[in-house]
Amino acid sequence: MTVIDAHGVVKRYRTGDQTLEALKGIDFRLDAGEFVSIMGPSGSGKTTLLNILGLLSTPTEGRVLLDGRDVTDLGDRKRTHLRKRTIGFVFQHFYLLPTLTAVENVEVPRLFDHDPNRTQRAEDLLTRVGLGDRLDHRPDQLSGGQKQRVAIARSLINAPKVVLADEPTGSLDRDTGRQILDEFRRIADEDDVAIVAVTHDELVNEYVDRTVNLVDGLVGEEALDA
Amino acid sequence: MLEEFYRRFPSVLMARRNLTRTRMRSLLASLGIVIGVLAIASLGMFGVALQYSISENLGGLGNQVIVSPNPEADVYNLTERDVREIRRVSEPGTTVSPVKQRREPVSYGRGENRTDFVYGVGQPAEVYNATEGRIPEPFQSGALVGQSVADEHDIQPGNTITVNGTSVRVRAVLESSGSFSQLNPDNRIYLPVSSFEESNYAQVYVTAESGTAANETAIAVRESLNGREERVRVQELGDIVDQVNETFSIINTVLTGIASISLLVAGISILNVMLMSTVERREEIGVLRAVGYQKRDVLKVMLMEATLLGVLGGLIGVGLSLLAGLAINHYTVNDATAVFRLINGAYLLGAFAFGVVVSILSGLYPAWKAASEEPVEALRG
Repeated sequence: MTVIDAHGVVKRYRTGDQTLEALKGIDFRLDAGEFVSIMGPSGSGKTTLLNILGLLSTPTEGRVLLDGRDVTDLGDRKRTHLRKRTIGFVFQHFYLLPTLTAVENVEVPRLFDHDPNRTQRAEDLLTRVGLGDRLDHRPDQLSGGQKQRVAIARSLINAPKVVLADEPTGSLDRDTGRQILDEFRRIADEDDVAIVAVTHDELVNEYVDRTVNLVDGLVGEEALDA
Repeated sequence: MLEEFYRRFPSVLMARRNLTRTRMRSLLASLGIVIGVLAIASLGMFGVALQYSISENLGGLGNQVIVSPNPEADVYNLTERDVREIRRVSEPGTTVSPVKQRREPVSYGRGENRTDFVYGVGQPAEVYNATEGRIPEPFQSGALVGQSVADEHDIQPGNTITVNGTSVRVRAVLESSGSFSQLNPDNRIYLPVSSFEESNYAQVYVTAESGTAANETAIAVRESLNGREERVRVQELGDIVDQVNETFSIINTVLTGIASISLLVAGISILNVMLMSTVERREEIGVLRAVGYQKRDVLKVMLMEATLLGVLGGLIGVGLSLLAGLAINHYTVNDATAVFRLINGAYLLGAFAFGVVVSILSGLYPAWKAASEEPVEALRG
C-alpha cells in the first residue's frame, strides 16, 4: 500500500535576485513497512525533499499525496494536524527538550491532548527501544545512542504511518549507529511503518529495502541522463 | 496532586521547566515585577494610611459650622441679635455656642505675665468634656483651660491663674477635640461670658447632629444673616474634610502612577528575557512544530512562561507589600492591623493583577515571534 506518493516535485528558493532550484522534478513513492534511504552529496536536495515529504514545507510545483490524499495545497493548520497524526521525525541532533525526562520527552507530541494512556504508552515505547530503566532520566544523563532511541520512541507516540529521519546516525559512533538502524528495521517490519532516512552514511544501506540517490535535485538515473 | 495539575495543564509543566532552566535569569525578570508590585501597592497603602490618620483628626469636623463677622463688609463682631437669629434658623438638636474673645495679660503661678487670648463661652458643658475637674453648669466663675495649657504650666483643677491682675480658680481641664478644629480648646483659656464687658461676640460655633444638618444650618444662616451684603462668613468644616480627602486621592493617584512606571520597566525586562529565550530555543520550538504543535500551542507555552514570571513576581510583591503595609500602618496610625482594610486589599489585588497583565503583554510579542517561525528555518539552525 502506498503511503506517500510524490510526483514532479520541484522546489525553488529565491535568495535575493537569484533563484535556486533545489529539486528539479522528483518522483518518489513509499509503501507501508518500507525502509528507504535517500543518499546524495551535500546540496543535492535531500533535506528539502524530506521536509516536503514531512509536510514541513510545500513544493513549488508537483503534487504530494499522503495516504491517497492530496496534501500539496493544505494550509499550515491542516498540515500541522496531518503531520501530527501520520508522520514521526527523528533528527541528527536528537532535539530532545533538556528540561524534560525521557518519558516526558516521548509524551511531548501528545502533551496537549487529553489522553489518559499517554504516559503508559510512552513508557511502553521506551521499554521497547531498550530504555525501560531510563524512564526518568533527563537527556543530559543519557548517551547519544540512548537519546536517539528516546527520539525514536517520541516519533512513534502518535502511531505514525511514516517516520522521517534526517541523518539519524550522523552523531553516533558506528556500533551505536547499528543499534539504531536495527531499531528502525524492526519498527518497519513489526509495525508496518514506512521509514525514510536521509543520510551520508553507507552503513544505512545495509539495512534498507532500497536506496534513492539524489544528485543536483534529481533522482540518480535521471541525474545521469540529464 | 501537582502531577494531576500538570497533566491537565501541560503548558504549565513545560513553561515551569523552561523557567527553571535559566533560574537566575527568570528570578531577575520576576524581580522587576516584585519591585513594581511592591511600589504600587505600598505607595497606595501609604496614601490610604496617611489619609486615614488625617481624617481621623478631622473626623469630628464634619458636623461643625463656624460663623464669623466679615471685616470686608465692616462687620467686626456678631451681636446678640445675630446669635438669636442663628439659634432660630438652626436645625433641631444643634448646639450654638457664641464665643467672646479678648487679649489679656495672663500669668500662671510664679511665671511672668504674657498676653494671651482669653475666650468667653456661655455653656461650655454643651461643647466640651473635662478630663480633669468638672465643667460648672452654669459657668459663672473660675476658668477652664485646655489640655496643652494645663500640661505646659502644670495646672490642675483647684490651682489659680491670674488674668489681668485678678486671680481665678481653674475648675476643669478640657479634653482636646480634633486638632484642626477652631473649636479645639487645647491652647485656650475660657472665662465665663459674664466677665466680658464687650456685649458682642467674636464668633459663633455651631455643632449639628450630622454633616447634613450642619450643611442645612450653614445654608439657613447664610440666607438669614447675609441679606444684600455679606455680613458674616459661614465656614463649613465638612468642606475642609472633603477638600483634604480630594487632595489625598489626587496625591495617591499620582504616586501610584509613578510607581506603575517601574512595572513598565519590569515588563520590558520580561520582554527582553523572553526574546533571548526564543532565540536560544529556536530549534526546540522548531521540533515542537515538527511533531505537530500548532502555532497556538507554542503561543500557549510561551505565554504561560510570561504568566508564571508575572504570578511569581506578583505573589512575592504582594507578600512584601503586606509587610510594608503593616509597617506603614504601625508608624502612621499606630495600628499595624489597620492594613487589613478593604481599600488596601484593592490596592494589593490591583497591583498583582497589573503585574500579571504587564508580564503577559510583554510575553505576547516573543511568543508570537516564536510561534510564527517556520519550522524548516528553525531546524536548519
